Order: sequence, then C-alpha cells, then structure tokens
Amino acid sequence: MNGAEILGLGRQVTGLVISGPAGSRGYPVTPLGGRVAEDLLYLGFQGRFLEASVRNLASSGLLDTGLSNFGIDVRTTVIARAMRCGQDGRGDLCHPGLRSPGPALAFGATPLEVLRHLARKGTTPASARTGGWSWTDVKRGVMGWGGARGGMMTQVLAGAALACKQRGEDRAALVFETRATLQAGGWHEGMNLAGAVRAPLIVVVEDGLPSDSSEDMDVEAVAASYGVAFERVAEDAHERVFRMVASARRRAVSGEGPTVIVLVPLAEEDSWALHDDFAARVVAHGDATQSVLDDIESAAATAVDHASGRLNKEPGPSARDALAPVLTDAVPVVPWTRRDPPSPAPPPSTQRAIDAD
Amino acid sequence: MPTEAPPHVNRTRVGEAATFLEAISEALWEEMERDERVFLMGEDIGAYGGAFKVTRGFLDRFGPSRVIDTPISEGGFTGAAAGAAHMGLRPVVEMQFMDFVSPAYDVLTNYIATSLYRGAGPIPLVVRGPVGGGNRGGPFHSQNVEMAFFHTPGLKIVYPSNPRDAKGLLKSSIRDDDPVIFEEHKGLYRAPHCREVLPPDDYVIPLGRARTALEGEHLTIVTYGLMVHRSLDAATELARDGIRVEIIDLRTLLPLDEEAVAASLRKTGKLLIVHEDTRTGGIAGEIAIRMNERAFEWLDGPILRVTAIDSPVPFSGELEDYFLPSVQDVVTAARYLVEY
Repeated sequence: MNGAEILGLGRQVTGLVISGPAGSRGYPVTPLGGRVAEDLLYLGFQGRFLEASVRNLASSGLLDTGLSNFGIDVRTTVIARAMRCGQDGRGDLCHPGLRSPGPALAFGATPLEVLRHLARKGTTPASARTGGWSWTDVKRGVMGWGGARGGMMTQVLAGAALACKQRGEDRAALVFETRATLQAGGWHEGMNLAGAVRAPLIVVVEDGLPSDSSEDMDVEAVAASYGVAFERVAEDAHERVFRMVASARRRAVSGEGPTVIVLVPLAEEDSWALHDDFAARVVAHGDATQSVLDDIESAAATAVDHASGRLNKEPGPSARDALAPVLTDAVPVVPWTRRDPPSPAPPPSTQRAIDAD
Repeated sequence: MPTEAPPHVNRTRVGEAATFLEAISEALWEEMERDERVFLMGEDIGAYGGAFKVTRGFLDRFGPSRVIDTPISEGGFTGAAAGAAHMGLRPVVEMQFMDFVSPAYDVLTNYIATSLYRGAGPIPLVVRGPVGGGNRGGPFHSQNVEMAFFHTPGLKIVYPSNPRDAKGLLKSSIRDDDPVIFEEHKGLYRAPHCREVLPPDDYVIPLGRARTALEGEHLTIVTYGLMVHRSLDAATELARDGIRVEIIDLRTLLPLDEEAVAASLRKTGKLLIVHEDTRTGGIAGEIAIRMNERAFEWLDGPILRVTAIDSPVPFSGELEDYFLPSVQDVVTAARYLVEY
C-alpha cells in the first residue's frame, strides 16, 4: 500500500518517479549518506502527505481555516534539516516557517501539531489565540511567529543567535522571511545588527509570496551592504541545498557571520519533483533500498493519517483561553462593568453619601 | 581587568550619598555581578559609557559580550534582546533617550508584549532610558513615553522618583519575568537635592506598589517621577496655610497600584493628579475613571489634573517653562480643590 492509499486520498499523490541517474537536473551530486538521506526522505514525504491531507480536510469541510497561503516547499524542509536539530535545548534555533511548516517538521513538530494549529484548536501552545505560526519551544529549537510584521523575526532570531555566540555555544539560528519583507525597515535593522555583531544567523528569503513587490531588489547587493554572505536556491538538488546551508552554518558558528539565502519560487509540482529525484538518487547510490524507501514513505503517511484522524477529537479553545494572562504574575481582569457589580463594593457603613441621607 | 566597581557605582559600599544616576549604575552593576545572564545593549554604552555615563566602566569589567554597543537601530536591538531573552538571558536595553524608543514600538507591542499570550513564554527584558523635559532638549530629547505603552497589555512600566527607589525598582525589573519599560527622568539624574545614602544590602522594591511620599489629610496628590518633587515643593508652600497634602508616588505605572490611590482618597476626599506627560490620554484620565469606579462615594470634589500642555516639548527655555507643570500650577489646583 502506498502513502496515498494509506491516507485514503483517492489519488496518487506521491508519484515517485525513479527517473534516472544522479544529477538528472544537470549537476553532479554527492550522496549525503544514510541517516541524513533517510531523514530528508521521511520529512519530505511527511510534508507532502500533510499538504495533501490539509487540502483534503479543507475540501471536506473538516478544516475551516484560510489555506490560500499554505503550501509545503520541500526545499525549506531541506534547509531546516541542514541545521543541527536537537530536542534537548542544545540544538540550533529555527523559525517555524511561513506558509510551509516544513522547517517546523524538521525541528520535531508532529503533523498533529501542525494540523492543530491550522484548525485553531485549543491544544495549540497559544490555544488558538493568534493566527500565523506562533510557536516557540526552545527545547526543540523552534522560535518565532509567522504572523510577526516584516523583519521582526530576523531581529528576534538574530538575538537568539547572539545569545548562543555570547555563551560560546556551537549553535546558530535560521529565520524565514518573505522577499517583500526586505522593504521593511525592521528587517534592515535586524540585518544591520546581525551583520555588525557577526551573529550566527542564516536568513532565508522566500521569493514569490503574496504582497511581493520587490522584484527589482538586488538581494545579493543588499546582503553585501551588510557584509554578509549570499546564496541562491532554485531547482537545486537536496544534496546541494543541504551542503550549502550546512556550510553557511559552519561559517556562522565560526564567527564569520550571517548568510542570506534567496529561495527562488518554484511551482508546487517542481518542488515535489525535486524530492522524487532525490529519492531516486538515494536508491541509485545505494543509501537506501527501494524497500526501505517504501517503508519510509509508508511511515510518513501513517503519521499523517494518524494526525488527521485525531484532529476532530481535539478540543477547540474555550472562552477561558481568551482570558489568558498577559503577565506572568497577574490574574486576568474581567471588567466588572460588563457582567458583575463593582468589586469591591463600598461597605454600606462607610458610604458617606448614604450616611448623609 | 579591574575587579572593583568604579567610583560612580561604589557609593553604597563606601557609605556616600548617591545621585539618581549613580543609583541606576549601581543597580545595573550589582545585577550583572549577581547574575551572568544579565547583559546590556545600547548605543554608545561600551567604550563611551553611555550618553549620560550610566555604564562608564562597565565594558572594562564585563567585556564586550555583556556590554554590547549596537548600531543606531532601536527596533533591531530591542528585537534581538527579545530573542536573547527567549534563550534564557536577561537583557537590559538602553535607549539613549527614551524618545528614540518609537522605532522599537512595533516589536515591543506586537511581539514582546504578546509573547506570553501567544504561548511563546515570557520575555524578561528591561528597556530603560532617560525621559522628561526641563533640560532644553526640545521635542526629540524630552518626551515622556509612558502612555505610548500604557495601553498595551503584557508590559510593565516603572517610573521612579528618587535614587533609593530607582535602584530597588531597577533590580526588581531585571529580575522580573515580564518586559519592563523603565523611565528615568534626566532632571533627577544629577540633581543635588536628590542625592541620598542607599541601603547597603541587596534590596529590591516590588513592582506595582506605590508609596506615600508625604502624609496629609486635606488632599491627595497622585504623581510620579520628577513631579513628586514639584508636588513636595507645592506641599511645603500649602503647609504654610495649614493645608496638609498627602502625596502618593506611584513608582510603577503598570500595573497601577489603584488600591493605594483609593485608600488615600478615602482618607482625604479630594484627588489631584500631577504628571509631566501631556494632558490628553495621560495617566490622569485612567486614574480618574478608576477612582470613579472604586471610590466615587468618597469624593468631595472633582478630580483635577495638572499636566503638560498638549504640545510637543518646546526647545526655548521660556516656552518649555510655560509648557511644563510648575509648582505654582500644583499649588493653584490644590487650593481650588481644598476650598471646593
């Protein structure tokens, strides 16, 4: 049974094409090796099934959320996986992603956590109090908010990276921004600081997202103006993207400072074709057998299937969730004028107006 | 590397009176000595020691990784401080003048203040810096910024009036798990009348609690910062006519110690609110409505306010003196209320 059948999607969504020799897109590719290759395969399949499942749930009316901007770009998954993901609070830091939850998946998010968020469930960290990705779990290395205004997350992740550098830790941070964000002053302030203090930061600029009106901006020149390195990812093989990011990470933690990576937009099918090509190369190089590949695909599908099945059992937010404290030491204040009498009510014996009567 | 604190952050140890500015320096120094997670960010705070020299000598002692000179990008380094706070550090961000906090308004209100609510955990950081007029600094170096943030759930705002409070409140702010806006009136920084010998121990003053700066019975004045001193001067003048004023120094504006205000109002029956910030949307309006809700039956007169005029802060000394609340303004309003 393939992944699509496990998910009951009614159509083939994986469509693996074992299409030919390594480097079928025209450049030589050196294999990544077993563990990393298997991780990337799993994460890619998982993202692909998750995307299909989200659309399936939405079309079935089971997921009532704005999905116009949802779409997993497998390259963001590869980029995130090239960081040092940890689950113990000692790994790298990663923004959870913009339209793609691929980075969050790479840093340990489960499909159910992604679906909870999209479905605005009360079981999300923010109990559905905010839109966008608001997910900060320092232990897993996830930090950020997709709903933050342009450039703000570059500032925040730069600070997280700086904290790692101050403590002499072998850690770096990765943030995703839209290209349009490069017009925001906040991004430039964050980038300026990151460049000045040589923060171990990697900034991925996702091209082609909505509200993009910066086509003419020369991002390489912008990066150079802050004295930081620049890379571009287009239809690059997973192996190349992985190594590029790993190299940027090495530079970052060695004190050479940030790297800006532009992600050239791809059609969704081209993104998945990259993954299929990668799968083909993994088998061709002998890093995994076809049987192992099938097992990985099935495991990813099963995980997504399980999450989709669980979603409707997850509770929505309660009214109490809306009154969550905004300070660590304060109780939420319910204005008495709305429902309750004044509190504390003046004791009658001391009400001078009454006494005067 | 010197291990002793420089003279301006050593007053308490040698038993000398400290200025407001020295008290701020002491608080920062002691907290950095106490907790290695505490670090400073700001413009020219390292080699230059800060525009007002609050951090003079800090770079030598704590090094460039804990005393970070930043580019002129208040939004950028305040956002970065948030990221560092996520990572368990305790950043203290200096605004060279608090007027310059406006570029950081976005990250402070939209990201930092909402963090706990968004399920992203608390962000313990302090944004501190000089505020206030009277130094002929003009519109961009004289503002009071409290009300720009007062309406934002998730922030705390502290505005001390004397060296003892400044030190104790700043130490509390650094140790607090919530983000704190800490305002320091530059007119108090080196004011001779404001010098005092500070307690020798590692004291803190809890946030959210006002103090009674002067006990009285005829009228309550609620105020904070430099205006505490103006109000005390007014009280001295009023006392010559037998008018005994009670002065409540708020110390923390958010959370507001409304119980302290209500308790004093129940005692005197008259309430005058004095602040240097401009009038419309000033904290006086919020205090007035809260007392209307909580203590209306005790009011024996209208709640009045003495504030700056609704205008940018003028540059000319003559204009600025007219713009700012004066002792005579407070005296006049107090007499009117007492006679009401």
